[in-house]
Amino acid sequence: MKLLAYLRIWLACARYSVVRTMMFRFDFIMWSLVEFFWMGVNLLLVAVIYDHTHDIAGWTKYEMLLLVGTSMLIQRFIMGFFWSNLFEMGRNIRSGHFDFFLAQPGNPLFMVSTRKLDLDGIANAFVAGGVIAYAVHRLGLSPSFTDLALYALMITCGVLINYGALLVIISLTFWFGASQGIEGSYFTLMEFSRLPRETFRGATNVIFVWILPAVVVSNVPARTLLHGFDPVNALWLVGVTVLWLGLGIFTFNRGLRRYASASS
Amino acid sequence: MTSLAKYRHAFLLGLQSNIVYRWNFAIRALFSLFHLAFVFILWGAAYKGQTQIGGFDLDQTLTYFVILLVMQFFIGAFNEDYQISEEIRNGLINQFLLKPINYYGYRFSIFVAARSVSGLLALLPILCALPLLKDHLVLPHEGWRIALGLPAMLMAALIQFTIAYCFGLLSFWFLEIQSFIILSLAVETVLGGQMFPLDLMPPWFFHVSQWLPYYYQMYFPTAIFTGRIDQASALSGLAIQAFWVLALLCIAHLLWTRGLRRHTAVGG
Repeated sequence: MKLLAYLRIWLACARYSVVRTMMFRFDFIMWSLVEFFWMGVNLLLVAVIYDHTHDIAGWTKYEMLLLVGTSMLIQRFIMGFFWSNLFEMGRNIRSGHFDFFLAQPGNPLFMVSTRKLDLDGIANAFVAGGVIAYAVHRLGLSPSFTDLALYALMITCGVLINYGALLVIISLTFWFGASQGIEGSYFTLMEFSRLPRETFRGATNVIFVWILPAVVVSNVPARTLLHGFDPVNALWLVGVTVLWLGLGIFTFNRGLRRYASASS
Repeated sequence: MTSLAKYRHAFLLGLQSNIVYRWNFAIRALFSLFHLAFVFILWGAAYKGQTQIGGFDLDQTLTYFVILLVMQFFIGAFNEDYQISEEIRNGLINQFLLKPINYYGYRFSIFVAARSVSGLLALLPILCALPLLKDHLVLPHEGWRIALGLPAMLMAALIQFTIAYCFGLLSFWFLEIQSFIILSLAVETVLGGQMFPLDLMPPWFFHVSQWLPYYYQMYFPTAIFTGRIDQASALSGLAIQAFWVLALLCIAHLLWTRGLRRHTAVGG
């Protein structure tokens, strides 16, 4: 199937999601508030700690706000575009409803990943963007168009890395069947993306900076706005993107071979 | 069957069904160790260059978070609100209307069973991590902290469960309550001291929070055990906590009786 046909499918799914959201407006408002409040909780943590300390591993309050905002922006995009789809994939594998996606005339991974959009997540991406803009303003930064374009590209890499990691986690359902709660590990992992790289030492540095893609996703884009483009960091981010996206697709395809549906 | 025996059986049933999900709890407890790692890294970095924050040193703050974690698995409400909501939505609640059993008592018995299982399972990864944690754990030795901390913990469990129960009962009015629950969880996370010790907030905020039920969910018993509040504050806190237990029980009863008026038992 051509790329254009996939784009048309995605647009149809997006239209369906918008119509559905309009039907359940109260639900949309409530979930938008939920995400908004949780972002507020994370910002409050930064505010409280910086009330009592001047810097964290050399990062000042507004530098930290920029980092936390970057992490939130990536996570809002994941919540808006992929979370519900992948979360339901785990449920569907267990229940056998996954058959529905296999029967569709298209790549199963594309069909599974793009069925729904959560507009509340996307709406809150603007709030996260506002946090970043505020931090940039308070830091007195004036990023050029190139800096902003590079930052946007790095955010895209961050979203793809998160998507890959989430796909690996959810695809484990193909092997373990009842893996309730395993999805929560994604949020646990994302917590570390709100910390500066310099805070990690010894074993935590190896695990969260080098093995797991928790720190690179947010630290590299935030550093680009703060200190300008660093080709070594950018290459590191691209490498991690290829690795985790590849790992996600590989795990999904391997899992697909094990899928045996459920009873009729 | 005596009235207490009914709830003992509900407790035993809850125990059995929660042991089935032992791996879920164990995985959750394991992930919570990662959260603890986050806390240690963040606060460790925040304390660099200073020995005290808010009048407490690093080890006292880390001890607070370790005890808080244990507390969450022993007295925290996990998905009781969701379970109650499902029973109302699916009509399973109808059977309790016909039986001589109090629904709150039945659900609370199951809650106690579930927390016994999850609490004990949560201790396993913490015991495994003890060699790394033990140098940071600094618990005060005053006997009164145990004497006042245990009833505070018991009442905190009642508050946790009753709030979850009330949210579950909202299903009599709303089809979907999950967003209410997660919204409330965000408020509880901050005002219950789960994100940071409440005493680090500005004094006016800390004083206002002491009049709210969230303060008594996690922060209060943890603060007693870890030495963050003195005996006089603990005693006055117990009185306010008892008030909130009673107030929430009344609200729960009101929601139950009002909700039942709206409820339609369908099916045969």
